[in-house]
Amino acid sequence: MHFTQELELFPGKKVTQLLFKEVKNAAVLRKSAVEGKINGALINPTMLVSPFQVLVAANKAVHLQTIEKMKTRSLYSEIIFNLSPTNNISEAFKRFGISDGDDSVMVVVVHDKDESQLLSDITSKVEGRQVPVEDVSSLSDAAKIKKLYKVTPAEETCGTLLDAVICRMAIKDVL
Amino acid sequence: MAQHGGTAAVLEAAELLKQGAEARLYRTRFLGRPAIVKQRFPKRYRHPLLDEKLSQRRTAQEVRSILRCRRAGISAPVVYFVDHTSHCIFLEELVGSSTVRDYIGSHRDLELDRLAERVGQILARMHDEDVIHGDLTTSNMLLRRGTEDGKVDLVLIDFGLSYISALPEDKGVDLYVLEKAFLSTHPNTEALFQKLLDSYARSSNKSAAVLKKLDEVRLRGRKRSMVG
Repeated sequence: MHFTQELELFPGKKVTQLLFKEVKNAAVLRKSAVEGKINGALINPTMLVSPFQVLVAANKAVHLQTIEKMKTRSLYSEIIFNLSPTNNISEAFKRFGISDGDDSVMVVVVHDKDESQLLSDITSKVEGRQVPVEDVSSLSDAAKIKKLYKVTPAEETCGTLLDAVICRMAIKDVL
Repeated sequence: MAQHGGTAAVLEAAELLKQGAEARLYRTRFLGRPAIVKQRFPKRYRHPLLDEKLSQRRTAQEVRSILRCRRAGISAPVVYFVDHTSHCIFLEELVGSSTVRDYIGSHRDLELDRLAERVGQILARMHDEDVIHGDLTTSNMLLRRGTEDGKVDLVLIDFGLSYISALPEDKGVDLYVLEKAFLSTHPNTEALFQKLLDSYARSSNKSAAVLKKLDEVRLRGRKRSMVG
């Protein structure tokens, strides 16, 4: 159900995503994440087009952590920040982090070798139904995403919504 | 350069596709997808501080122009990741695409007329966005077959020398550079290039001033006279 991808630029580092629906304890999860008790980033799946979007954010976060140029305090907050098209940190959390009433959540974990322990930790904390990560596309709110990333109708003629989102995430620091 | 670890190690294992004076192109994989890396390597002949600054600026300018084009609906490769410390841009690899250069060498009149028409339209749209490509050649235009509809998509690549300008002069020089490259790569194609220009003229309502400048530039060359 979960999806793991190695970061080619950082051999040994992997990113695992887990998607949950019908989540009942979003408020508790958010609180533990803020307190640093959850070893992962909690993302609002309605703002995600594809798991690839999360990978791009995670790769950039690990890169910035390696060169000590992160804009936020932890690797997991940096992943959430990297998803946002703007450089406003609190806005990034508001849009891409989870809110207390949410009923779905994408959990992102960056790890070295064996992830089974980390993953069982996560699944034990989330009160919800785990679904395949690819299902994220059925949860995404395309209209909201287009508005936030300012995707023009013209741009969609030369590529997908995912392409448009990825470009903005990759380029936002030099705009 | 230990701090560049990640990117440098990947490039060592990657396949070198091209080496130019400004950058190297590698083929690799990025997050499981085929990707091209454009690396602006350090130039020993420049002062290190100047070299760093130039590489930084050109890398930033290149990705900005790509986004500006895509926003306007002009196809350019998707930017996956920019490493500002090693001056590397990770781009989508356009798998199965061919250059306009090869296409011209292997197709007949009717198809080429259609192509010239397309190129003229796209360049007009790009100039309407005030993007000056800076290095227009038939090798920097790719043809990609659409994934579903089978339609052929024209993709502009290599925005390494691009910049933003609204001046007809700059747009005229952009077309002049293409004309020189076009006619020397493809002998006896004056009529075809004229079709490209005609299409450019029809597609932009700012084209009259640009084509007038193109005539001036043809007489004097790419560089403006600094006499007087």
